[in-house]
Amino acid sequence: MTRTPWQSTLAACALSLFLAGLAFGQSTKATADDDLLLQAMQAEMQRSKAQLKLEGMSAPYYIDYRVVDTDQLAAEAAFGALRTSVRARFRILRVIVRVGDYKQDSFFGEGEGDVELMPLDEDMLALRHQLWMATDKAYKSANEALTAKQAQLKQLTIDQPVDDFSRAEPVHHLEPLSRLDLNTTPWLKMLEDVSGLYKTDPKVEAFDSSLNFQAINRYFLNSEGTVLRGGRTFYEIRFSGSTQSEDGMRLDRSHEEVAEELKDLPAPAKIVAEGTKLLGTLKQLREAPLADEEYRGPVLFSADAASSVLLEFVGDNVLGLKPPLGQPARTKGAWATSYQSRVLPDFVSVVDDPTESSLDGKPLFGHYEFDDEGVKASKVSLVDNGKLVNYLLGREPIRGFPTSNGHGRAKPPSNYPGPSLGNLIIRSSEGVSHDELKKKLIEMCQQRDLPYGYYAETLGPQRTPRLLYKVWVKDGREELVRGATFGDLDARTLRNDLIAAGSELEVSNGVLNVPHSIVNPAILFDEMEVKRANQNKEKLPDYPPPPPTQASGK
Amino acid sequence: VSGLEVIVYPGSEQERSTAIPWLLLRTVAICLVLATGIGATGSPRERAPEKNNALLATMQQELRRAQQNLGKLDPAPYFLSYSVYDDTLTLAVGSQGTLFTSSRLHKRSAGVVVRVGTPTLDNTHGENRTSAISSGTLPLADDSDATAREFWRLTYEEYRKASRAYLNIKTKTQVNAQEEDTSADFSQETPQSHEDSTRAEDTPEQAALESLVRRYSAYLRKYPEIYSSTAIATAQRSVRYFVSSEGSVIATPNTEVRLFIEGSTRADDGMDLIRVETFQAGTLDHLPHDAEIASRVEKLAADLKALRSAPLAEPYDGPALLSGRAAAVYFHEVLGHRLEGHRQRGEKEGQTFTKKVNQPVLPPFLSVVDDPTLATLNGTELAGWYQYDDEGMPAARTVLIQDGVLKSFLMSRMPIKDFTKSNGHGRAQSGLMPTGRQGNLIVSSTQSVKDADLRQKLIDEVKKQNKPYGLYFEDIQGGFTLTERRMPQSFEVLPVLVWKVYPDGRPDELVRGVDIVGTPLGALSRIMLTGDKVAVFNGVCGAESGSVPVSAAAPAMLFSEIEVQKRAHSLARPPILPPPGFEGTPAAQTTKTGARK
Repeated sequence: MTRTPWQSTLAACALSLFLAGLAFGQSTKATADDDLLLQAMQAEMQRSKAQLKLEGMSAPYYIDYRVVDTDQLAAEAAFGALRTSVRARFRILRVIVRVGDYKQDSFFGEGEGDVELMPLDEDMLALRHQLWMATDKAYKSANEALTAKQAQLKQLTIDQPVDDFSRAEPVHHLEPLSRLDLNTTPWLKMLEDVSGLYKTDPKVEAFDSSLNFQAINRYFLNSEGTVLRGGRTFYEIRFSGSTQSEDGMRLDRSHEEVAEELKDLPAPAKIVAEGTKLLGTLKQLREAPLADEEYRGPVLFSADAASSVLLEFVGDNVLGLKPPLGQPARTKGAWATSYQSRVLPDFVSVVDDPTESSLDGKPLFGHYEFDDEGVKASKVSLVDNGKLVNYLLGREPIRGFPTSNGHGRAKPPSNYPGPSLGNLIIRSSEGVSHDELKKKLIEMCQQRDLPYGYYAETLGPQRTPRLLYKVWVKDGREELVRGATFGDLDARTLRNDLIAAGSELEVSNGVLNVPHSIVNPAILFDEMEVKRANQNKEKLPDYPPPPPTQASGK
Repeated sequence: VSGLEVIVYPGSEQERSTAIPWLLLRTVAICLVLATGIGATGSPRERAPEKNNALLATMQQELRRAQQNLGKLDPAPYFLSYSVYDDTLTLAVGSQGTLFTSSRLHKRSAGVVVRVGTPTLDNTHGENRTSAISSGTLPLADDSDATAREFWRLTYEEYRKASRAYLNIKTKTQVNAQEEDTSADFSQETPQSHEDSTRAEDTPEQAALESLVRRYSAYLRKYPEIYSSTAIATAQRSVRYFVSSEGSVIATPNTEVRLFIEGSTRADDGMDLIRVETFQAGTLDHLPHDAEIASRVEKLAADLKALRSAPLAEPYDGPALLSGRAAAVYFHEVLGHRLEGHRQRGEKEGQTFTKKVNQPVLPPFLSVVDDPTLATLNGTELAGWYQYDDEGMPAARTVLIQDGVLKSFLMSRMPIKDFTKSNGHGRAQSGLMPTGRQGNLIVSSTQSVKDADLRQKLIDEVKKQNKPYGLYFEDIQGGFTLTERRMPQSFEVLPVLVWKVYPDGRPDELVRGVDIVGTPLGALSRIMLTGDKVAVFNGVCGAESGSVPVSAAAPAMLFSEIEVQKRAHSLARPPILPPPGFEGTPAAQTTKTGARK
């Protein structure tokens, strides 16, 4: 089945699935005939291409129009009661006009496009009016930006010039649009039911829940002839609780569910059950002993805990982001100078493959057929047996990588285009089972006369462990501890101290920035510092909370 | 931004000139301005009273519990208040006859004020007013458990903030030299009880506002030279609840509808020209009739067209006539902000008027009151109307200047030398600490001529001073004023329609790019006489305590001297291609017309 980055996965009826199936392997021959917005974009594009020029200035060599139409329901509850619920729809336009040529152009500073709101109504002239205004602004800024860029370049010596923009074949690919069409009542009630669980534990200080449901339809047109249209839906649910241990240490836990189709979300009752589970772990944490002051030794990360580490230290560093003007580095990331060098242990390989739509039946959000710049998605091998062999690229080249590999994505809300992750897949060629990893952890501790090792099951923000266990050498028992932090964890730790990985892969899907997935195994480090967190402990509340008047689970 | 107060009119020059090329953010900012400022306007209407308000009961109960529990601690709070702003905001934004976005937000904001120490010296002293307030979000329904829980959380967090600040202040006052104004930090007042509880009228449906912005933004479609235009309609239904440890219990409902229409164009030299029309009323059916709104939108378009080709004004210093609306904005900026009570005490404030009580500060024929108890003035609904201020004090008519002599200031419960009581002007948006603010500022005059004779009076003065021309300010968009000591004590207002009036019988000539500048005391002493009709300007005013709706009303005024400067502007050209729908028309060549010198 074909899917652009934007295609709806809320394939609401069998018919659309069927049609999408038919379209496999060929560009969809849908036309813009019934789409006034696309027609308006085409009309202004034609006019701008033919006529937009200031006397004495060069005409644009490239123009693109991007409209992102968002229909969103956001709601939030706390302590069993709804606090907000807002439905909003808006369309955001970004127009990029480039003057100069592919070698050197105006995409710089003010020349990176103009952003405006677009009408929601089917009104040709009003739609064109916004496009007209934005194109005019973007063209003028482009001319000023090119001059500014050239002036700056005159001050610099550039040894190895890199083109500003790569060429790409035009594509024409229209997908059906997505709709947010749902009965919100059960979901709003679910938010209240989950957050109402605070009544079951008087020591819980905060319990919030929220949902964010959105349908995002995207329209893209460029002066080279590319036309793209498609829609997707995302359904996110999140809840979090907070408590304090007797000594005042703040303890937080949160839980998220995210799906591309409403039917793939767990049923409301199941989500409430997850809430009860989370409350249970908060209680366990409250009663858990403090982590020892300092530990240096092996640490095992579950696949879930590993995903945020890998996202940050691998995901961010494989992006082929062009460095600031005049800087000779290849990219902006920590691996800017690591091309063809070892960046990970030699048993680890990393690919990014937006062409895969699922893994073992689990959907991959980073799936698309064409990226947001109209370049066909491709599987990119990034790290081959530990060695960095490629970067993810949009149409902005970096040194040594002159063309896009189909990873140009537009990040909301301003829809700035640039390289992004699709489905980042990290595998070990020597993966072992979870039990074996645990066994290995214990063996390593034994060798070093350590009474226990650490197992991190989940992490919170800034990679602070939330569920962290001591794994005792003598009997393999796992004991929850609280108040720990990892002393040294960065890209180098991954390269030097990662010694084994699991064979089972887990999928984490994310919607923030651009929809993406990270697929990875559990990982074992042979040496890592785990310290007691140096955070100040707040006093417990000065007086007890108000006693609930209504029974829990109203 | 302490010390910088802006009458923020959405889309005003200041917002325009921000470097954010990000229309959505601009729109969101507009929404915020509208959202936060509204709530105290509209006329009182008949409502079915709701007995035994559940929310008030929860607030009182939790407040008592907090008082009992925190009272045992050291330092103990001597004052607690809980407030709730229950707001339903409906918003529609459109342009060119179409809708950009629309939404409805229901929100209950909670504010918890804790004062630690004594009324003489407490945690709000000096620069520490923010230490006395914490804010959060409440459930939408009267769920007493969830509401009490949130107040509990806010209260113990706020208590920590307040007691920490108080301990620092106690030490500081012992270490530092005695302050010039030794007034107490909190005034003694009588508790208030007013339960206008609380079925405010329903706010209009989203669809009604959507149709407003579609209808009125469509008027601007036919003008190719209006490059950009926006219509925004907001409706707010608002109920405020307030309880305090002194025993006050207040609930007041309100509704307000606002329509804002903005058009802009650009002159050949790059100057952006913006005109705004706003309409507001308590309810949708109180807005002016369709025909009146339509004609004002048409005038807005005609003004913009005329402004495009108007010549640039030169720096000028001489006689000038301000229309009533222009004079109202002028008084709000130049005088009103400087009469806010807390500015007389702040060690960083310029204190232009602090020591001028019982001295003349205006010509003797002028008097100024601030009267938030007025819902209308000569039939116009006033935006600065309210029953109780945000410290739970009853709104009161306050004579600020009587026959040119300064009598009083706009007082919150923060006393200043010789003014120990609030006069019901402690205002804030939800979540911020109230300070003395304007409500309905009304200027009256005993030395007036008929409005029709003002132009001749201006010409007489021009001749007398032997100037080539005088200036007539028909409309002023807004302005800002600086009151901090380290800044020049100056103001700037942003006139949008200014005419040169010649003494030799030539027709008046529209000019563009004028800013009025000056210092407050000098400017105010140069008023010679006024017209006989009072005009009202309704708007939203921003300052340290947030955005609040205000009105200013004044007659037209003749000044013997006003100083204007050239306005800085962008050099960007008008659009290169004609707007869609006008491809073949001469309007496409707008760049060729207009007067360039």
